[in-house]
Amino acid sequence: MNAQVLYDIKNVLDMSWNIPLYFYFTGLSAGSFILSTLAYVFGVEKFRPLGKLGVVTAFLLLTVAPLFLIFDLADPLLFVRLFWNFNPTSPISWGTVFLTVYPIVCLFYAYYIWVGNMPRAKIFGALGIPSALLVHGYTGWILAAVMPHELWYNPMMPLLFLVSAIVSGIALMIVLMWGANFVLPENEQYTPELFSDMGKLLVGSIAVDLFLVASELLILSGGTHAAQEHVALLTTGAFSGWFVGVELVLGAFIPLALLLVMRKSVTAHVVASLLVMLGILAMRYVVVMGGIYLPIV
Amino acid sequence: MLFYNHSSKSVVSLSQICALVILVVDKQPNKKSFRKEDAMEEKKERGFTRRAILKNAAGMAVAGAALSPIKTGAGEQKKRRLGMVIDLRKCTGCGACSVACKEMWDVPTGKWRSWVKVVEKGEFPNVKTLFLRRLCMQCDNAPCLRNCPTKATFNDPDTGIVRIDPDKCITCKYCLWNCPYGARFINPQKQLADGTVGPRADKCDFCYPKVMRGENPACVDACPYGAITFGDLDDPESEVSRLIKTEKVTRMKPELGTEPKVYYIGWDDALLDAKVDSENEEERRNVA
Repeated sequence: MNAQVLYDIKNVLDMSWNIPLYFYFTGLSAGSFILSTLAYVFGVEKFRPLGKLGVVTAFLLLTVAPLFLIFDLADPLLFVRLFWNFNPTSPISWGTVFLTVYPIVCLFYAYYIWVGNMPRAKIFGALGIPSALLVHGYTGWILAAVMPHELWYNPMMPLLFLVSAIVSGIALMIVLMWGANFVLPENEQYTPELFSDMGKLLVGSIAVDLFLVASELLILSGGTHAAQEHVALLTTGAFSGWFVGVELVLGAFIPLALLLVMRKSVTAHVVASLLVMLGILAMRYVVVMGGIYLPIV
Repeated sequence: MLFYNHSSKSVVSLSQICALVILVVDKQPNKKSFRKEDAMEEKKERGFTRRAILKNAAGMAVAGAALSPIKTGAGEQKKRRLGMVIDLRKCTGCGACSVACKEMWDVPTGKWRSWVKVVEKGEFPNVKTLFLRRLCMQCDNAPCLRNCPTKATFNDPDTGIVRIDPDKCITCKYCLWNCPYGARFINPQKQLADGTVGPRADKCDFCYPKVMRGENPACVDACPYGAITFGDLDDPESEVSRLIKTEKVTRMKPELGTEPKVYYIGWDDALLDAKVDSENEEERRNVA
């Protein structure tokens, strides 16, 4: 149709970095927690060294993450109203509950690990897994519930968020293990074999992540005009540098190559993990900023 | 006589304008006049002029009778579902509605509760300028309401107006993302209950304080062409119900299931399909 807009108003502001960073940090936190439970809940002994490192990282990240949200508000101190106003149909309301429950479970789980009470640690670890999944998965629900933005409004979003969280969590653990070895060289628990095993986990989860990203692009390509415009935006438009360059090439393909070719090299694992972490940060940016970039009317 | 439109570089002739005017006037089913004088006359009969309302401000007289809360036998207020019908055939994009709104509620610079989108359709010599008055659609199934974490956005049960409670709003901006019509904004200087001023989510609320006094929203009175009709959609005798039954009305993006309560007469799909013709990408995406 040959029609041009001569004049219109855009009321909605652009997004700041606060929201993508919040999603990134909760993802890292959830991923770290899940890895921590691999040994203590599921009994996979080779990942036992991750237990303490994982839970401490998860807790610290989670104390920082909500600060991004609070400072994103136009009047930050208003956030307390979330505690005494609840809307059962709003994902943000549910998030308030999850963000309160999860750190508490985290603390109990960490306490019982340190004290050595393994059965109790297992219970709280088991409770912590759904808490961790919800604390990050709900952010996917926040986006998936927003009808006017086609990039978000599909069931793939929460799943994509969770898998990205696992990917970034594994990468973070690898980097932290290397850091721990660097700072405390006498520490024996982070062996090259552990790096190798983590590398295999990372390869598997990157593969799943790529599959989900491809599925999302496929579904959107066959959708409405707006959905197709979003695919174009990500693949060839303003966000192609971030999406194709950083998230896919730097953040997925190159790390995959490094991990598959240089399986024994700890350095390759660390470099690959740093790139993966960058890639997942790019993913949060692309999804959040890209989703709100195009006009809706 | 030819007129040159600089922005679209198209030429419109006087005969085309005359034809447009005649076409618009001819479309009136009851031959209501297009002229401002006749619109004023009609409003005087209905008692909806600003002078009449000001004169009768204390009591709710003729001006507000149709809109004041109707008391049932038991003394309770009848629940209304207030809606609006906007006749785009009469709209000239003058913006009086939006200026009146901005002035009445001190809407800050750069933010708009109501505004007019201008679209040019066609190619020379078949060019037409279209106007779309945009505002909050006051949806019955509002996504902003469903997703507000504190229920600050709520549906007023007596009027059906979607209102925002500034005492609950946390300015998370989730409702801004959720509105398919782009009607919401963060008002950095919203008047608060304790007399202070602070940022809160804001949007058109059909002039709720005026409605509760039995008056029309500011835009309804401000429109020089009487293009905006306001009333109870649930009342089969109201003017809005009559218009909806007799005219070809359209709502904006009805396929979304939001059930908006703002209806348009004279809709054109070009109003939503129009693109921003600009080389500048910033300009292209900063429109709506």
